[in-house]
Amino acid sequence: MNDLNESELIAQVAQGNERAFLEIYDCYASRVHGLTLHILRDPMLAEEATQDTFLKLWSRSNQYLAERGPFLPWLLTIARRVALDRLRLEARRPALSDSNDPDDAWLTIPDLESMEEESRWRSMYFAVQSLSPDHRKVIELAYYQGLSQSEIAEVLGWPLGTVKTRLHSAMEKLREHWNEK
Amino acid sequence: MAQNEHPPFIENIPAYAVGALDAEDSAALESHLKTCVSCRTELAEYRAVSESLLTAVAPKQPSAALRKRLQSRLPSAQKTIRPRLNWSIGRVAVGAAFTLLLALSVYSILQVRALQLQQAQLTRQIQTSQTVLALLSYPSTQNVPINVNESVSGTLLLDKDRNIATIVVWNMPLLQKDQTYQIWLIDPQGDRTSVGIFRPDPGQSLTTTSITSTNNLSDFVGIGVTVEPAGGSDHPTGSRIFKVDF
Repeated sequence: MNDLNESELIAQVAQGNERAFLEIYDCYASRVHGLTLHILRDPMLAEEATQDTFLKLWSRSNQYLAERGPFLPWLLTIARRVALDRLRLEARRPALSDSNDPDDAWLTIPDLESMEEESRWRSMYFAVQSLSPDHRKVIELAYYQGLSQSEIAEVLGWPLGTVKTRLHSAMEKLREHWNEK
Repeated sequence: MAQNEHPPFIENIPAYAVGALDAEDSAALESHLKTCVSCRTELAEYRAVSESLLTAVAPKQPSAALRKRLQSRLPSAQKTIRPRLNWSIGRVAVGAAFTLLLALSVYSILQVRALQLQQAQLTRQIQTSQTVLALLSYPSTQNVPINVNESVSGTLLLDKDRNIATIVVWNMPLLQKDQTYQIWLIDPQGDRTSVGIFRPDPGQSLTTTSITSTNNLSDFVGIGVTVEPAGGSDHPTGSRIFKVDF
């Protein structure tokens, strides 16, 4: 899907066009569901969060402003909030193992290499995987589990200062990687 | 402002960008960001990194059932989550219905009013016709010709015993909206007493109007018609159309 088609489809979704909505769903459902599943670690809860995300898209697509950024991060930001809200609602803290992230899943994304931004984001996956386990843990808990630094310190039993240092260091490495691309 | 001049704010920016900064520190940083351009620039870079984390997870295709379930929920979801749209359509519909109802009501009122006017006019014509017939049937009725010009002429039917009279005139000139014909009884001294006003009906060549006076017609010697402002005058002020003596 090119940017022009995407903008047209989003405009049609805002007008209540179900066919356009389903086209966007077919294009991005795996990305949304991948994120909700990564956050919730429960297939049923993840499907509910994915469903809620797309229902929000259906109802609020007119709030998307193309001049403020690409569509996919906007949609995934909604998905992250929905999933984190669900996580808080369930009051459950999942384990840190990531059995739902097989590398070959990337093969399901069409035309990744043809899109510069997509390619950049794809590289971030490997950047996260290349972090040290401790750095990956703090990123995981902070961003994908919605915990504050104090909560991370409590969960991991680390001193707060250590959490701050490791989170800062992990983010610095990711930024370096991001700027290299 | 150099970066080393404002720790710990700059140290907290990465945690803030991923939403992990504790509330107290977040408030302090947000206050600092309002006045620090370099920290806002730093934050923008870290936010780009955190945004990239959204896609730094493996995609996973949801079940086919989810697509069907979602599709089935779209119409109802649209109804519940687009209240403004529904509200607008509802308001437009109600507004249109109200306007239509109002228009119909106004139209009905105008129709009723027009019918009432027609009815009143017919009633007057019937009464006048009955009066004419009654006058013609009385042997004491006086028939006085009215001759205005070649085209305008008629008859004054007068019954002094019963104090009634009717003017029957052909081809009375039509008047402007702000004018009326006024009928005057003329006493022997020449004084005029108003006994009514009338207007010829457009499209009707015959104009009839009855006169019922509280005065004794025997006290008068003639009758005249003048053009007056709408509503009539206390005394004749306009041009005289005709005057007949009886």
